[in-house]
Amino acid sequence: MNKLTLGQRSALYGLVCVTVVYSFFPIYWMIISSFRDDNSLYANFSLLPGPFTLTNYEVLLELTDYPTWFVNSILVAFGTVCITLVMSVLIAYSVTRLQFRGKMAVVGVMLYAYMFPPLLLAIPLFSLFVKLGLADTRLSLMISHCTITLPLGVWLLWGFFKQIPLDVEEAAMVDGCSRLRAFVLVVLPLTLPGVLTVAIFSFLLSWTDYTFALVMIGTDSLKTLPAGLDTMVGMYELRWGELMAGSTLIALPLLVMFMFLSRYFIHGLSAGALKG
Amino acid sequence: MRGERVLYSIFSVAIALTALLILYPAYHALELSFQDLDSFISKPVWIGFGNYADVLAMPEFWNALGRGLVFSGTTIALQIVLGIGFAMLLDTAIPAKPLVRGITVLPYLLPTIIVALTFQWMLDSTVGVFTQFVRLFGYSYIPWGESGTVAMTVVIVLSVWIWTPFVTLAFLAGLQAVPGELYEAARVDGASAWQRFWHITMPQLRPVLTVVLLLRAIWMFNKFDIIWLTTRGGPLQATEHLPILAYRKTFEMYEVGQGAAVSAISFVILSVLILFYFYFFPLDEKE
Repeated sequence: MNKLTLGQRSALYGLVCVTVVYSFFPIYWMIISSFRDDNSLYANFSLLPGPFTLTNYEVLLELTDYPTWFVNSILVAFGTVCITLVMSVLIAYSVTRLQFRGKMAVVGVMLYAYMFPPLLLAIPLFSLFVKLGLADTRLSLMISHCTITLPLGVWLLWGFFKQIPLDVEEAAMVDGCSRLRAFVLVVLPLTLPGVLTVAIFSFLLSWTDYTFALVMIGTDSLKTLPAGLDTMVGMYELRWGELMAGSTLIALPLLVMFMFLSRYFIHGLSAGALKG
Repeated sequence: MRGERVLYSIFSVAIALTALLILYPAYHALELSFQDLDSFISKPVWIGFGNYADVLAMPEFWNALGRGLVFSGTTIALQIVLGIGFAMLLDTAIPAKPLVRGITVLPYLLPTIIVALTFQWMLDSTVGVFTQFVRLFGYSYIPWGESGTVAMTVVIVLSVWIWTPFVTLAFLAGLQAVPGELYEAARVDGASAWQRFWHITMPQLRPVLTVVLLLRAIWMFNKFDIIWLTTRGGPLQATEHLPILAYRKTFEMYEVGQGAAVSAISFVILSVLILFYFYFFPLDEKE
């Protein structure tokens, strides 16, 4: 790297500051607004944090359906992650290990499905759930989320599994392992980073989804957080303190995960794990 | 090889479930578009291309298509320009690089509901922080609730804010792959920074640019949630594009068949883009 002049360096640092403020200010503003009471929210325009109060969070957790939505979100996300992991590991592994005609079509369909916008799938899926008597249930939402996470999982894991040479498990099988044991003991540990990436992004996609939740769930008590919070906008006069507290709480798990698992996030994101 | 039979049976079951989950709904969407339905529980009547004829005769459809092109074209162009800028910046020797990179990526991870709510709060016509800001310049507030153009600008800005990191990360990865010798050689030949960017960086990043352009086009053209959450397609349909039209037809006007026809048309446009993607980036089992 050649030396920068003082002027160039200050310009560079200036650009970095602008980028950071641009990306972070809305998040910062959401968080500090959530800790302000009504008086300061509607009268105090200080850009610095404070005054500090927990009133918004207390109201949100005690007087609204927020805790119910939180539980629903956790249930749906957990179910989605489990289904996705099992199915995508099985499909991706068998696609890389089996030899048959048209197997690339499977990967192709997965990639195709992965590019599908949620709304285009949500409407026909809802119609099918109505026919099956599953409409307006958390299970239907879980299944809908799998239509995004499963193609993603197969796609990412296909990339992982195809890099693991067949010799590795064949060696284990020669030594007397069954195919299943060879898979669980030898192949799976090698692809653990991939599996973890799929788990993280399945959680993320399910946790942040609004479109499917809007179409699938009508009953308030079955809604997940994003759709639930949206009904609060329509119902009352705009209670910005509580809405910002609700937003902060939705973002919190993501921010914490991002801090500790940023390596997997960056890897997954670079592989295009968040459609959108 | 041993264990193949087990593998085949697991595979078939998994594939059958996937087909049920993904291919059948896609087929069902097409099926719905050929039926006359006023709700999901009424008895369907097959009407052939009737819905398509109705939809194509509606001015709303063409307006929505136009708005969708404006929205996706503008957002894609801005995302790519900004994304390349951020990637170049993050590729230089800046302080606290991992932290800065993490912060730049953050908007992409946030749920759209949060982004929509936070920006609405910042744009609030009396106490929003942006409103306070424009008052310094003598404006009273940003009329995104009344003016169609302003509303469209706002959803474009929000979409650029959220989805630029996708472009940034793609180009950042691409930049790592450009051989350093090329820059050295250009420097020796006396090329300026701009010439190095235009004659080395950009040609080297051509494949990345193609994939980013295609994926952004595929996703931005059908973006639903951010616009719906911010403006509901308003004011006066000023931000209503095809996905919102499809949603409103289906769930607000109870014209399920017509809604499905709008979706099917988007679906065809989308498929053309995806076929381009497969054409440029054929699947390769070895790598």
